[in-house]
Amino acid sequence: MGFLKGRLNFRRYRVVDPLPDDYRDRFEQAFTEHAFRDKAVISRGEETMGWVRADNLLETDFSNRDRWLYTHYVMAGMRLDKKTLPMPLVRAMVEQRVAAWCTEHGRARAPASVRSDIRSNIEDDLLSRTLPTVKVVHFCWNLPEGWVLFENTSEGMNDRFRTLVRNSFGVALEPFSPLEFLSETPELVEPLAAAGMTVMGGGAQ
Amino acid sequence: MMDSLPHLSTEFFTWLWWSTEQGGGRLTVDGEEIIAWVDDRMAFRLPSEDASRAVLTGADTARAAEAKAAMAAGKIIKELRVRLQWADREYGFTLKGSGLDVGGLVLPALPDDGDEQDRLMLRMEAIEALWAVLGAIYRQFAAARTSDEWQTEVVPSIQQWLTGSA
Repeated sequence: MGFLKGRLNFRRYRVVDPLPDDYRDRFEQAFTEHAFRDKAVISRGEETMGWVRADNLLETDFSNRDRWLYTHYVMAGMRLDKKTLPMPLVRAMVEQRVAAWCTEHGRARAPASVRSDIRSNIEDDLLSRTLPTVKVVHFCWNLPEGWVLFENTSEGMNDRFRTLVRNSFGVALEPFSPLEFLSETPELVEPLAAAGMTVMGGGAQ
Repeated sequence: MMDSLPHLSTEFFTWLWWSTEQGGGRLTVDGEEIIAWVDDRMAFRLPSEDASRAVLTGADTARAAEAKAAMAAGKIIKELRVRLQWADREYGFTLKGSGLDVGGLVLPALPDDGDEQDRLMLRMEAIEALWAVLGAIYRQFAAARTSDEWQTEVVPSIQQWLTGSA
């Protein structure tokens, strides 16, 4: 995990809403209510998502605040599980069983409903024997200054993260804008924001 | 809500590249001298597309003729790997996109003998120090970008540098 060791990728956010006074209690409750839960059955392509502790992706007990609150930083992970099937294998198995059904019933073609049932049975069987792909992306939240670093820069993961934060903690995250660097020189914000594109190389920027 | 204004980031990347090459890698930021240079990766895209059209890697990427050729062909900088040095600190990182996403951040060597909380505090403090310097550099860009000299002096100088006539 880059927050503690090694290289780090991140997108920075500003926390739009103020923290309530009882944020510690609320955070513990939010983490617990939106913790990652293993689902007994995951359908193909379905995602399971929730919070895990930063120290171990299997740990979802947030009752010990020392495991997620480090002085003024909150650190935890967003876990995302998804099951996918090898579709060439699924198609081949479906064709094989459809052929067997036709032979058994003396038919040249199987009805669509039979083909659909065969396909569902095969997918359910394979899904029950398939481990999910597991992703964990950590975040670090500076509470007094109201900014968050999320350790991933893909749009899809960031969309999921913002949604999970909003649903869990009831606060909105705003992606960082370089214009925030100008808080000490506010007179530059308006003219910079109004600046048009400059032609520097062979085209307009 | 603050808009990120995508064209400003690409202009910032170009200005930073030009500034570090012009100043021999030395920038004065809030009265402190910083050594800055474009490191071993630059990615370019067309203004109308998000996907990279050219990626240059390896030693001396910032001085490679292909980098200036990409700009001359109308491409703009999408990602830029930068090294910054000041005091006894050195950082390496890639700046990406309109919101200045950070990739492959290598922090200065930090003590590694504390517990988890100690390491987190030290690393976050190091990240904040970098962010403060990056903000100061961006304010220099903003001051230049909003000045009358931007069109009369800075842009012509960058264009001459890109075409090799300066």
